[in-house]
Amino acid sequence: MNDDTLVLYYYNDGLSDRERRQVEAALNSDPAVAARYEALCRQLNDMADPALHAVPAHTLQRWHDSIDRAAQMERNRQQQPTPSFSLPSFVWGAAITAALAIGIAIGVFFTSADTNAPIADFRVADLQPQDNATAFTRGVKMYLRDTQQELSSMPVDTAADRAMLILQIVEQNRLFERAAEQNDSQSLARVLRAFEPILLRLAADDIAPEDAEALRAQLAFELNVMLTKLSRDASKDSQST
Amino acid sequence: MMNTPTKMTVALLALIAMSASYAQSDVSEANDTADTSEALKIAALEALIVAPPERALPLVTKVLDSNNNNEIKSRALFILSQIDLPEARQQLLDVAKTGDDELRQEAVRMIGIGGDADALAGLADMYNSGDENMREAVLEAYLIAGDTQAVANIAASAKNADEFENAVHMLGAMGAQDELRALRSNGVFPDVLIEAFAISGDLESLRELALDGSDTQRQANAIEALGIVGGDEVDQTLMQIYQGTDSAEIRESALSGMLISGYDEGVLELYRASDDVGEKRELLEMLTIMDSDRVFEVIDAALAGDR
Repeated sequence: MNDDTLVLYYYNDGLSDRERRQVEAALNSDPAVAARYEALCRQLNDMADPALHAVPAHTLQRWHDSIDRAAQMERNRQQQPTPSFSLPSFVWGAAITAALAIGIAIGVFFTSADTNAPIADFRVADLQPQDNATAFTRGVKMYLRDTQQELSSMPVDTAADRAMLILQIVEQNRLFERAAEQNDSQSLARVLRAFEPILLRLAADDIAPEDAEALRAQLAFELNVMLTKLSRDASKDSQST
Repeated sequence: MMNTPTKMTVALLALIAMSASYAQSDVSEANDTADTSEALKIAALEALIVAPPERALPLVTKVLDSNNNNEIKSRALFILSQIDLPEARQQLLDVAKTGDDELRQEAVRMIGIGGDADALAGLADMYNSGDENMREAVLEAYLIAGDTQAVANIAASAKNADEFENAVHMLGAMGAQDELRALRSNGVFPDVLIEAFAISGDLESLRELALDGSDTQRQANAIEALGIVGGDEVDQTLMQIYQGTDSAEIRESALSGMLISGYDEGVLELYRASDDVGEKRELLEMLTIMDSDRVFEVIDAALAGDR
């Protein structure tokens, strides 16, 4: 009974009824599997702690609200022109006119005071170092798999929905990028960081369908490669211990 | 599921077969055959990630040297970025220096992913001699590698305002507060730095500028930028600035900052404290723009003839 199967069992996802019954039988009959599953549940519960996501989501919402309000104010100002500099123009423009500017805007979520709040929890203090690395790797793999699925099923004809979905992926990506840095996986952090400009280009509302398809194919490839690489590394680790 | 040795064998066989087939390729080959061939080649490249670096490198090199399209070569470059050998890094640099522009830019991105200090240092020359797309690719590579000092160097030696602005924006996105402060201390102080301070979340620098009345325009910009950073500390500062100034422009900026920060409580407090009808109207308008639930309290009170 491998960990991947136990993870699927935990999430009640991807296993047939027969496979689920097999897992249940193994949990009831094999104390080693039961202990492994219990440790796995602990790690996954830690990762699923709402506190992990609360701060960025709130900040994301605040940013969206700010953009809406700034846009509203900008419209108001256009009706009553004033000579003063209009930062809301910058905010609004930065948010919607260019991929780079969107990237900068996204940067606000993660470079401000919230930086240390959520992701530190990925270092599960009461677990052994090996368990930490395993939990982190498993979390990244799940993220990569989820992102693959979301991108492959993403509607490319509705710009607003697509942009919102991608911004959520960017948010997740940032979380895992910071987690990678904190888990001394600098090379993984760089790869995750490299996904972001591609994601933001994909979120642009004026992107041509063929360009969107090309970017999706590129991301799918790079996500797959990283997923395979992480699986290989995890497999090597488990063989060496 | 295919295990690792099997994947690797498939990769090796597919790549060898593909290289051979490309050597003898017939331009009249049907499109669907080409599509299948490309899909298989990409799958083979993907599987190469499990191969030992010494075996993967010559195969990736062969793909890059063959008559493949840019999509396949780009995928090969990504695999190259994951091969931890000096030869792989050198090859990325070679691709970045010459040949097809699209591939050169992709190789630059991969150098960022690789994170090798020497290779990253080599990008500086490409930035200086490259066109706008190449300069953007180099900045992006530095962002990926987290190399804030390299971006700061570009900003410090920028040849025009656009270059400076792009580099400073990038520093803001990277949260490089120290580098941005260093640029400020160089004496040059365009407004773009204020934006970058906001984007990097540098509350300290912004507050200092927001309280400095020596340049009203700059002060107003910094006050509005505070709103982007947001938070209780910002809200209190904005309130303090609004209440402590006689300048209509500064007051308006403080109000804009509150709007951006979403500090409707503060606007309501100002509304209740004001005896000036014009100011009250402006604050009420602001609460409406902010889509604050509190606006109904105020409207209700105004209609009832209360304050």
